[in-house]
Amino acid sequence: MTDDPGLAIRGLTKSFGEIEAVAGVELDVPRGAVFGLLGPDGAGKSTLIRMLATVLVPDAGDAEIFGLSAAHSPDRLTPRIGYMSQRFSMYPDLSVAENLEFFARIRGVPKPRRRERAPELLESMGMAPFAKRQARLLSGGMKQKLMLASTLMHDPDLLLLDEPTTGVDPVSRREFWRILADIHAEGRTVLVATPYMDEAERCTHVGFMDAGRITHSGTPQELKDAIPGTLLEVIAPDPRAVLAALRDQPGISGAHLLGNTVRVLVARRLADEAPPPGSAVIPDTVRDLLPANAEIRPVEMDMESVFSHLAEEAAA
Amino acid sequence: MSWRRIRTLIWKEFTQLRRDPMLLRLLMIMPVAQLILFGYVVAVDIKHLDTAVVDLDGTATSRALTDAFAGSGYFTIAQRPASESELQPLLDTGQVTVAVVIPEGTQQRLLAGQTAGIGVVVDGSDSQISSVASGYASQIVARANLERLSELGPGSGSPGIDARIRVMFNPTLDPINTMIPALIAAILMISLAAIMSQAVVRERESGTLEQLFVTPVRPSEYIAGKLTPYAVLALVQMGIVAAVGTLWFQVPFYGNLGVVLLGLALFLLVCIGQGLLISLLVRTRAQAIQTTLFLMLPMMILSGFIFPVESMPEVIRPFTFLIPLRHALEVLRASFIKGSGFADLAVPLLALAGFAVLFFGSAIAATRRRITE
Repeated sequence: MTDDPGLAIRGLTKSFGEIEAVAGVELDVPRGAVFGLLGPDGAGKSTLIRMLATVLVPDAGDAEIFGLSAAHSPDRLTPRIGYMSQRFSMYPDLSVAENLEFFARIRGVPKPRRRERAPELLESMGMAPFAKRQARLLSGGMKQKLMLASTLMHDPDLLLLDEPTTGVDPVSRREFWRILADIHAEGRTVLVATPYMDEAERCTHVGFMDAGRITHSGTPQELKDAIPGTLLEVIAPDPRAVLAALRDQPGISGAHLLGNTVRVLVARRLADEAPPPGSAVIPDTVRDLLPANAEIRPVEMDMESVFSHLAEEAAA
Repeated sequence: MSWRRIRTLIWKEFTQLRRDPMLLRLLMIMPVAQLILFGYVVAVDIKHLDTAVVDLDGTATSRALTDAFAGSGYFTIAQRPASESELQPLLDTGQVTVAVVIPEGTQQRLLAGQTAGIGVVVDGSDSQISSVASGYASQIVARANLERLSELGPGSGSPGIDARIRVMFNPTLDPINTMIPALIAAILMISLAAIMSQAVVRERESGTLEQLFVTPVRPSEYIAGKLTPYAVLALVQMGIVAAVGTLWFQVPFYGNLGVVLLGLALFLLVCIGQGLLISLLVRTRAQAIQTTLFLMLPMMILSGFIFPVESMPEVIRPFTFLIPLRHALEVLRASFIKGSGFADLAVPLLALAGFAVLFFGSAIAATRRRITE
């Protein structure tokens, strides 16, 4: 992490009645990072993001964003923030261009800049042909891109994105992340909540949130290194059967599908007995659970395994 | 307050309104259609009422009187029972709505220079019919008296026929002309409540309200941006409805146009504020509709729109002052019929202004509260 102040979140807390949605979050996000906020449903990710966006007022604690307090000076902060909520939140009966124009005008973006920025953003997102289309008539992926474009009209320094690709097809998701890479390259800070671990891989930093707290944070590599055990890749004719066979077996701390392969996280105890990664020798306990024709090889740790390990650790 | 942001919000509202032809139709055509429909229901000219005449006198005078009733066009002599006792079943079964009884010795009494009483019984179960019928009956008798006097020559000193009109079942009557101004106010209230109650909650449901909280828009700017376009529409709507109401139904207007316009403008503001407040406090569009429906009926009934406030129980009467429509009706009825001016109507006008301030103040406060869930 750098010394440049990005986000410094200290003791941020918010309750809804009896439920403590965010319970004293402590987190630093360096300026210019793409920070992936991971965690199971109901972990408090949306509430945290909404407090950072100044939509919700925290019960306790504060977040300093570029040195400005989210709790106390929202009016100075909002011009520097772009917030994209989980739900589609553009005017359905306004066209793509009208939505961009409206939100930019409300934010005081000068006319010459609006005239230049809107076509530029639509062009870069491949939405130029749809500028005159009413927002309600857009496809799911297009709607998400429209919202992203709207949050970028006023050139914010921080983008807060709450599960921007949930329910979007894989092609659109990939394109969305290509656009985020451009935004990252422009030096903007991005905080993105996501349930997709392949997206977490593309973040510069990640944080794992559970029950209202950030339990782990760091670069994806730091989190992977902290996971005890070895990840094995199994190629077999029926990956689903393999997955079922491995579930809840002693010594196996996680298993998930990746394409046509099964990835198995073998606990440290077992891994220690095995030869170092890269070698073809596999512990017998795992071998015995798999079909004879299965191809097994150790692979580098992935975020999916990190996530399931952390989620299970949190549940325990 | 930033005028630039308010202007942007207004531009947005108008753009959305343009995209919603259904809403415009609802705003402009529905009230006029309702007014004409309801107007005919309340103001229909009543003619050919089935009438029973009991002529116990059987003289030239009594026949002339009967002919006067029949010739007026308002009454059709449907039955001629021989005795008074046969009238009750006819009225009870609705075969006749009016009964005229000319007692024996009517001509004799008139010739003797005495007052002769005749009885007119009107079925009051419909207040409109009964008020019109009793009015016509007294006019006919008055004219008959006048004709008789002119025949006898001046200075005859005869008091003539005295029509004793008795309205059965419902003695309180409301003149028709007060109904049209009241209808104008009530229809504007209903259509604005229905539309305004959706105005904010629609944005809450579509998530755009939350998006606006991340912009520099202030609550007062947001409310001003919502109010202005709808106020313009409401004024146009008011003009159309008021014009149709007064011209189509030829309601006599004795009043001060300034008073009526001020009263209506304040009332429109109150209606918009009330709808906005509902829209801000509910969570879903369905809730907004339910709340509006739930509030409209008591407002209509307690306002004096249908039943006069004076006839309500003493305990209820103070609560009617909490109903904006009551004050609007007071202004409209008094200025239409009595020609009351600003000074006479200062109290209801100030009450309307007070409601407007209250509702808009609350609306701004409710917006400021932001979203807590």
